[in-house]
Amino acid sequence: MEVFDRIYEGIVNRDREVIVALSKEIIEKQIDPVQAIEQGFKRGMEKIGDMFADLEIFIPDMITAADIMNEGLAILRPVLKEKSGEMLTGKILLGTIQGDVHEIGKNIVKVLLEGSGFEVIDLGRDVDVLTFIDKYQELRPDIIGVSALMTTTMVNIPRVIENLKSLGIRDEVKVMVGGAPVLPEWAEEIGADGYGDSAREAVKVAKKLIAEKRGSR
Amino acid sequence: MIDFWDFMRRTETGQIIKEEEYDRKVGAAAAEVVEKYGISYTPDDPVPSDDGLADRVFEGAVELFERLGVFVIDTRKVVRFTRDEIMEVLSAAPQHVVYGSGNERVLVPARGVEDSRDPVVFFSAVGTPFPEEDFVKVCMSYAQEPLADTFSGPLITSYRGMPVTSGSPVEVEAGIWNVVKLREAAQFAGRPDIPIHNFMSVAERTDATIAAARPEFGVRDNDGLFTAAIAEMKVDFERLKRIAFLLHTPYVIGGLYGPLMGGYSGGPAATALILVAHFFLGLFAFRAQRHNAFPININQVCNTTREMLWLVSVTGQALAKNTHLVSASNAFMASGPCTEMITYELTAHSLASTVSGWHLNPSAVARNRYPSHATGMEARIHAEVGHVAARAGITRKDASKIVHALLEKYEKQIPNAPKGKSFRECYDIETVRPGDEYLRLWESTKKTLQGMGLDFRLLYDRS
Repeated sequence: MEVFDRIYEGIVNRDREVIVALSKEIIEKQIDPVQAIEQGFKRGMEKIGDMFADLEIFIPDMITAADIMNEGLAILRPVLKEKSGEMLTGKILLGTIQGDVHEIGKNIVKVLLEGSGFEVIDLGRDVDVLTFIDKYQELRPDIIGVSALMTTTMVNIPRVIENLKSLGIRDEVKVMVGGAPVLPEWAEEIGADGYGDSAREAVKVAKKLIAEKRGSR
Repeated sequence: MIDFWDFMRRTETGQIIKEEEYDRKVGAAAAEVVEKYGISYTPDDPVPSDDGLADRVFEGAVELFERLGVFVIDTRKVVRFTRDEIMEVLSAAPQHVVYGSGNERVLVPARGVEDSRDPVVFFSAVGTPFPEEDFVKVCMSYAQEPLADTFSGPLITSYRGMPVTSGSPVEVEAGIWNVVKLREAAQFAGRPDIPIHNFMSVAERTDATIAAARPEFGVRDNDGLFTAAIAEMKVDFERLKRIAFLLHTPYVIGGLYGPLMGGYSGGPAATALILVAHFFLGLFAFRAQRHNAFPININQVCNTTREMLWLVSVTGQALAKNTHLVSASNAFMASGPCTEMITYELTAHSLASTVSGWHLNPSAVARNRYPSHATGMEARIHAEVGHVAARAGITRKDASKIVHALLEKYEKQIPNAPKGKSFRECYDIETVRPGDEYLRLWESTKKTLQGMGLDFRLLYDRS
């Protein structure tokens, strides 16, 4: 089996020893680390996302897979430095909207986004509408991702978009929304660029938005 | 005995820990306890008759609660309790609660496994968004039902053209409007004194809830209010402020627990333990007098999948056999109103709950996400099945066979469950009566259920 396939298997099986050994092997044998990440780690985490979607595994298993991946990436980091630019899928600001203290869904999305190479800036739960705006201006991510679990708090999400418009910066950034009560037609109605029905879908949408953003430059 | 202020004192003691660390501990500890107590999910037997299993779930939950404690988000500290303290709080918990007064007074006792007493049924539109203009009529569709012991309402997301944003003055105003309109709905349903078991669904913040909790707006003594724990095993000051207020009022305090199956706790067995442990959280942190459980499948956002019905059943049995807590089972349906699927889902959930010792709280509908997709008919169906199951003396073994047969009819459709029809499509909006289509659909399913052993004549004749 190819080393990349073995990494993929190691992530899917959540086998720490295998991943540590293979990451060291990548360095020793001077194998392309970028390919190892794309074809091994990221592909493995994608499969982990699929397994979670089918409830073959649960959040603790997903977190373990992410931890193991990060251990492997830490070993590869010295040889990645020069190539780190091409490694980053994109930068995303993530948070659960003002008034909403439920962040499990957002945390799942975070794990899978990181597994796909995104840099995630997690603002946490009950994030004030204006904090999204301030943090965007400070950190300039590619995407702002906003979630809600409650119908009562979902109504705060459009205010993020309205405030971006009022500052004339709406077109600079992609906005994606999600959460149990959020429907695709509502996402469109409020002018969001993307909507994810599940964590797995959210990652696909985020990648699509990044491709659109880069394509429009 | 530990009181609310002892709990609050403990929220400020001990080391701070990272929330992420606590989240990880939940899954790890639950997995260890599941293994230690030999708790395993049995897909072929969705309503198990194993008393030993029920006891092990209870004992496992006590151990898990001792190990995990309650995470307090604001102080990032864990409040811990000993086994003796858990047993003491359980023993001191109310054995019944009373809602309402006069002819609408409802005594809610603790139920037992395979209890032949009718379950108390708390009719509710459980957080479905509705437009302002339909709010009273949809509430009437619940309050007017003969089997409704109490009721509560849906929510509005827009008030006089303004979004009801949490934390804003609009939320305070809409919260007051919510309370006024619930009592108005009771009045026009012909039941002015029917208790309202949860008088606030529009406001998220505590200040708006407190502002609305006044008799002149229509809230009465022995109405109630729910306070929800944050999954998994967490509370925050915003929720605890409600309790500080409620302890001075005549309102029934309800604890609301919705662990996510597939979430931080893990699979069905681990989530069953976490759900029971939440009841202990409710006793210590919320001083809950009655309890509501709404465990949810994290991906399907319902609790009518096979493993969720198993979870509902074993947790109900664990609590009914080992405590005298007043507990209700919240129904969360995947499908929507006026579909054949929802009649099967509601029946399966009601049966699994009733024979396992729960009272009933129907129902969230269509994954609780489609505006105006909830009606009093879903609660009627759930209530009728529960009453028939109790009166007929349906055993867990019988229920398991029926639930298994019902699952065969709908479980494959769950990922693509039909969203069904809206309130206005299901009901005559002028008369607030269910339309013929929905009535005929339910009659047709009842004939099928009759063949499975559910005798609906018992609704009218107990002899």
